[in-house]
Amino acid sequence: MRRPTTIPLVLALAALIVLAATTDRFFTWDNVKAILSSASLVGIVALGLTFVTLAGSMVSLAVGPSAVLAAMVFLSALNAGLLPALLLAIAAGAAIAALQGALVGLWNVNPVILTIGAGFLIVGFAEKAYGEATVRPEGGGFATLNSVPLGIPVAVYVMIGVALAFQYLLTRTVLGRQILLVGESREAARAAGIPVARVVTAAFALAGAAYALGGAFLGSFNMGASTYLEGTLTFDAIAAVLIGGTSIAGGHGSPLRTLGGALAVAAITDLLLLRGLGTGPQILLKGLLVVTVVIATQRRLNGAQA
Amino acid sequence: MSAPRLEMSGITRSFGAVKAVRDVSLRLGPGEILGLCGHNGAGKSTLIHVLAGLVAPDAGAIRLDGEPVVLHTPRDAQRAGIAWVDQELSLVPALSIAENVALGRVDAGLLRHPRRERADTRELLAKVGLDARDPDELVGGLDLGTRQLVEIARALGRGARLLILDEPTATLTDFEIERVFAAVRRVARDGCAVIFVSHRLGEVLELCHRVTVVRDGRVVAERPVAELSAAQLVEAMLGEQLEPAPPRGPNATGERLLRVRDLSVGTRLRGFTFDFDAGRVYGLAGQVGAGTSEVLHALAGLLPAATGSAELAGRPLGLRHPVRNRGRGLGFVTNDRKGEGLFLGRSVAENLTATQLDVVARAGQLIPRRERRHATALAVHAGVAADRLDAPVGVLSGGNQQKTLVGRYLLRDDIKALLVDEPTRGVDIGGRAAIHELLRAAADENRAVIFASSDLDELLELATTVITMRAGRIVGVYPDGVSRQTMLTDLTHGRA
Repeated sequence: MRRPTTIPLVLALAALIVLAATTDRFFTWDNVKAILSSASLVGIVALGLTFVTLAGSMVSLAVGPSAVLAAMVFLSALNAGLLPALLLAIAAGAAIAALQGALVGLWNVNPVILTIGAGFLIVGFAEKAYGEATVRPEGGGFATLNSVPLGIPVAVYVMIGVALAFQYLLTRTVLGRQILLVGESREAARAAGIPVARVVTAAFALAGAAYALGGAFLGSFNMGASTYLEGTLTFDAIAAVLIGGTSIAGGHGSPLRTLGGALAVAAITDLLLLRGLGTGPQILLKGLLVVTVVIATQRRLNGAQA
Repeated sequence: MSAPRLEMSGITRSFGAVKAVRDVSLRLGPGEILGLCGHNGAGKSTLIHVLAGLVAPDAGAIRLDGEPVVLHTPRDAQRAGIAWVDQELSLVPALSIAENVALGRVDAGLLRHPRRERADTRELLAKVGLDARDPDELVGGLDLGTRQLVEIARALGRGARLLILDEPTATLTDFEIERVFAAVRRVARDGCAVIFVSHRLGEVLELCHRVTVVRDGRVVAERPVAELSAAQLVEAMLGEQLEPAPPRGPNATGERLLRVRDLSVGTRLRGFTFDFDAGRVYGLAGQVGAGTSEVLHALAGLLPAATGSAELAGRPLGLRHPVRNRGRGLGFVTNDRKGEGLFLGRSVAENLTATQLDVVARAGQLIPRRERRHATALAVHAGVAADRLDAPVGVLSGGNQQKTLVGRYLLRDDIKALLVDEPTRGVDIGGRAAIHELLRAAADENRAVIFASSDLDELLELATTVITMRAGRIVGVYPDGVSRQTMLTDLTHGRA
């Protein structure tokens, strides 16, 4: 059986529940909202990244830079209205990622190395195009993205909506199936006449659209964007995908799993905060989780091949 | 008489609800060569894995030369003097013969002794008929037959008392097979007991002294080969008489379907030109390296180095465009089932529909009910049990995996030519007949079926036209049948 790894996720949840039950204020509606909203940004971009991983291209290291550039595009285009600015940012994000996907798909370029390079290029381009100062919103539309209908931030609704849409795309469309097949075995997909390059390009483009969407929220939330804004976004997104149990080898996993991963990371961070622990332990635990999941996944893969 | 070399008694092993081996007993004397035959899934592999220390039996005992042994790990097996030579060779190409022979010995110390290794290796090579080989030669430069012999030499170096050869000939040419057999006979004469596992019954009857047939996890027959014919052996394996396939005349419509001009791939294939008609089964006969596999891979668009041109039903094929060629009606079944063929971790159903997603989708959206129905229909046509649709294809037997691959191109009118590289490699005799029937049926529906094979029996049984190849060139074309002798002459001495 080569199913995505479930055991670590279950273990993490069990540990979480025990911890949560013994922590004051954890099971309050306010705290749940806090977890949801802190998961939303990472969640949205991680949902996109899931397609890159599923298609067998491991991870992109250009997630953060792409999101920041998209934030800049979005903020500076806001004078044209919210929706046009959003669409422009998403189109830019998708196009930049699609270009990387085409290189990976056509020539089998190592995706990790390529996206490191792409990340530098994107940051360099952003600084050249927008100057080194922070980009400020050119219109008021961003306030809509920061609003909290029914007490929950818009970004949370968007995260859940994107998760459902991507899940449908993966499980119920030809493209989704082809992404899984290419991720499972590129050689077999090629010999079966599946358009590998096109499929990988599409997977990257979907991912890029999600990075940009996340970037728009990031820029709105901070009411500005500079290249310093990306912080640890790239690695948080990778952590959410892997902790969710999507196989780094490709072919197995899903956006819903990534949603679970993002929520788990947010809940753990929240727990540690409530218990009065700082960023050090948070990062330590995140690292521990990723390492555990990667080892567990690989062991399952090795077992399946023995 | 002294105790037998190997005595297995009452060996039983289950996997979940499946009883893979039930109460099997087996005896083997020193110097004896025992053929172990059975369908895929009959329990052969489990028995072998028990002896190799990979699988522990639930019940039963194993004795070697009268001494009870416990085989928990492959190291235990090696220590007990059991050597298992797998079909997938385990030599390291970048190391020399001597280094490979010394590698992984359980009695090895921390330090290496290159000079002694070389001397020991030379002695071992002589025992398998490789006297002329230099122990310093790199394994990467050896042909497969020689590598097989080095594997056997390595087993002897580890003090093997029992040598298990698991499908050793599957990838070898006839000449190489002869050399391996000579070595096995010599090793047996020196007192080593040998278990020979093979799907090729002719080889079993030629090499072995005695044959044990397993079916459904039990020993169903055990006889000296002198008292056994190939037909009886097949009957014992299947438990029923297999009807010989009725010979079929060509039913060509005369339509030139696939024109190939001057197809070349480096030095591996040189100027292949041929017209294939609809309604016929073409067999490309050649040994490993003859270029037959290259013809099929190049036509499928999988060899970027290919030059030349090809046309299917009047439309040009792209030699670098697997997707386009598929769209123009070319189906391709690879000889590399695990690498280039199947999506091993995905279900049988997903593997069957992988090339037919257009049939089960509307406007880019999969329709689960339609996919289910179509996968079931494909499975039924291909002869894969429909209740296995949700199983990962990796757990199926070789025969069922191959049927799944062929099944991908069934029930489609737009497939005009079906290319199959080694249709039945590693497939048992029942699966082989079923796959041959599928390919004949495809030709009956007015497709051109072109297969490459190094198995002369398969070429004689299946092909209506045989094309012999050697060293990248066509040697002979036989539209009306050909004798085994002619084929062998072409394959080995053909003026290329």
